[in-house]
Amino acid sequence: MKQWLNSFGGFLPLGIVWLCPLAAGLVAVIYGARDGAAWSALFDHPQLWPALILSIATGTLSLIISALLAFWIVAGLYGSKLWSGSSGLMGGFLSLPHLAFAIGFGFLIMPSGLIARMLGNFSGWTEPPQWITTQDPYGLSLVAVLVLKEVPFLIWLIGALLARPDISQMLRGQFRVSQSLGHGSGSIWLRVFIPQILPRLKWPLLIVWFYGASVVDVALAIGPTQPPPLAVIIWSDLNNADSVINARGTAGSLFLTAILTWLALVFLALQKAILPSIWNFLTRGPSRRRTPRITSGVFLFLFCAAYAMVFIILCVMSVGTLWPYPDLFPTESRWTAWGLFFTSPAPLLNSLSLACASTLAALALAIIWLETVPEKLDTALLVCAITALALPTLVIADGQYLAFLHLGLNGTWVGVFLAHLTPVFAYVFIVLKGPYRAFDPRYRSVSLGLNTDPYRFWSSVKLAMMKPAMAAAAAVGIGVSVAQYVPTQLIAAGRMSTLPIEAVTLSSGGNRPLLAVFALMLAVVPALAFIAAARFGRKTL
Amino acid sequence: MTLLLENISLTIGDVLLLKRFTISIEAGEIVTLMGPSGCGKSSILAYIAGDLTAPMRATGRVMLNGVDLVRMAPERREIGRLFQDDLLFPHLTVGENLLFGIARGGSAERRDLVNDALSRAQLEGLENRAPHTLSNGQKARVALFRALMAKPQAMLLDEPFSKLDAELRQSIRNYVFAHLRERNIPTLLVTHDREDAPLGGRIFRISNKGDLIRA
Repeated sequence: MKQWLNSFGGFLPLGIVWLCPLAAGLVAVIYGARDGAAWSALFDHPQLWPALILSIATGTLSLIISALLAFWIVAGLYGSKLWSGSSGLMGGFLSLPHLAFAIGFGFLIMPSGLIARMLGNFSGWTEPPQWITTQDPYGLSLVAVLVLKEVPFLIWLIGALLARPDISQMLRGQFRVSQSLGHGSGSIWLRVFIPQILPRLKWPLLIVWFYGASVVDVALAIGPTQPPPLAVIIWSDLNNADSVINARGTAGSLFLTAILTWLALVFLALQKAILPSIWNFLTRGPSRRRTPRITSGVFLFLFCAAYAMVFIILCVMSVGTLWPYPDLFPTESRWTAWGLFFTSPAPLLNSLSLACASTLAALALAIIWLETVPEKLDTALLVCAITALALPTLVIADGQYLAFLHLGLNGTWVGVFLAHLTPVFAYVFIVLKGPYRAFDPRYRSVSLGLNTDPYRFWSSVKLAMMKPAMAAAAAVGIGVSVAQYVPTQLIAAGRMSTLPIEAVTLSSGGNRPLLAVFALMLAVVPALAFIAAARFGRKTL
Repeated sequence: MTLLLENISLTIGDVLLLKRFTISIEAGEIVTLMGPSGCGKSSILAYIAGDLTAPMRATGRVMLNGVDLVRMAPERREIGRLFQDDLLFPHLTVGENLLFGIARGGSAERRDLVNDALSRAQLEGLENRAPHTLSNGQKARVALFRALMAKPQAMLLDEPFSKLDAELRQSIRNYVFAHLRERNIPTLLVTHDREDAPLGGRIFRISNKGDLIRA
């Protein structure tokens, strides 16, 4: 009975502030889409099918290229000296929000961007080339941004998997056996490692795919416009003042989710049908092909160069007020944009307050759950967390908007906080669960046997040992919260401004220095959180 | 087929673990190398196979049928290995595991090879089974035949019987030795248990001072 009460006590706060808003959002979006007229209007939309094809194509293309590049780089570098450094680097790249990167990348590749200026200096151009780079009709620049952002994420995930002692030991043994059977390192990766690693990455890959096919803020900043990806059309409908068009947006968000889910299921079914022949092909005969070390190193260098150039161009752009083509540096620099940013600090303060509050709440909820609820129930919560992350943000945010209408939470700080908590808690729980559950319970027995009371054990032993994981989870939480655009814009209903909202608004305007400042601040806040996590997360036992 | 280990020595950092020694292993002969944990037995096997990693370092020549292997890539050495764990690939069936080291061939030919190996291993009908559904003894036999089907010119056994229970251990040991002798494969067995050594075979022991002594 006591254990049941304890478990219930752990479940209750989570149920109220996280599960209820999530479930209410999902119910409300389904309920809100029951209007047949909205579906008719959706299917009558002239851009529906080309936009859907564009969304699926950009999501799928970015996933395939990202996965190929990530495995190429890991296979080439794993075990080398470069590998140990690069896995830390990936964590740094991860902290940069997609939107900030997209804005910087846009500054790089636009006709008067840094790359065109470098080419102009080299070839003697006096005017920017008439190239369609950003917002190209095929979404290639959108795919490029997604690939550049997702590859570090996948490398980081594969690295974390390979760092697990059980897996690394198993793979080391299999590597030796495969070599003794005549296989080179490239062949071993292709035939032994990847087939075993890939199934463990199915959820992250699904999240990456859904994200790529339904992203709004990055698509608004750099994606095509005629037609735009379907998520942008839905987004425009959801922000329309007309309730009929709103309903079409709700139907659209469900339609996009249903199509993506259906495609994922078709892929899974096909995968099961063709897998045996793939394995049969892969296991035919030893190949002495080695892993591509040089090209992997080159790819890694190009990634680092892209991130460095994005950072540099944002810094230069934020102060450059006069920058004629093809000059490599502005001819006139002023701190006007920075001054403007700090004289109206509401977006920054709102982002910070939401990030801190949602992260602290998520940490508290996760710890209460992990302390009081039996481990066997973790799977159920994990399914909810993955659902919250895998479903397009549009669906959950729109559902929460509809649900919060009835509760009077739209336009309030609490409403936006609850909307942020949905993805923040999901990430915090996923990051914290492994280390927390791996904590050896015998430490508690030893501690209590030394006449230490449970509180002191928790504060001076467990907390100290869990500090690195908690700090990492907090940094991830802050990064996730700061990057939230769709839920903030919808739930805040125009009454609250944050960094991504201002950045997206500015991306369609002409004030480039101010846009660069917002993009930089969007990158700086999570980066500081990760640096602080690395600093304060050190074990102090 | 002859495996010659010539003037081999092993160090960790500046510490000499194993002083220079020479052993020649003839076709079908199984030589046993014994010694306490951490004396460098498995590192010698890693040196012969070509995957010795820092901080271990070894010098000397490894000659297989008159060819020096030291600068050759591990996958080109044609040296089979068996470890404590069977290390069957969990994502492949028994049949696919057996074919893993086989060069390309027609599907009928490959099927015949698998059936022949399974029949010799007394594992008929298990080609489509997943490795985790096999008993420890069955796994050990599949691992042996996977190595033998790649037609190795020499074999290295790294305590392959140490995780088997006493009854199974003896039968698998005899089974492995019989097949290696039948194929005339020179074999180096590393173990810390004298019972694992084949009867009548040469046994070398690594002393505390790093000398290799004929036991």
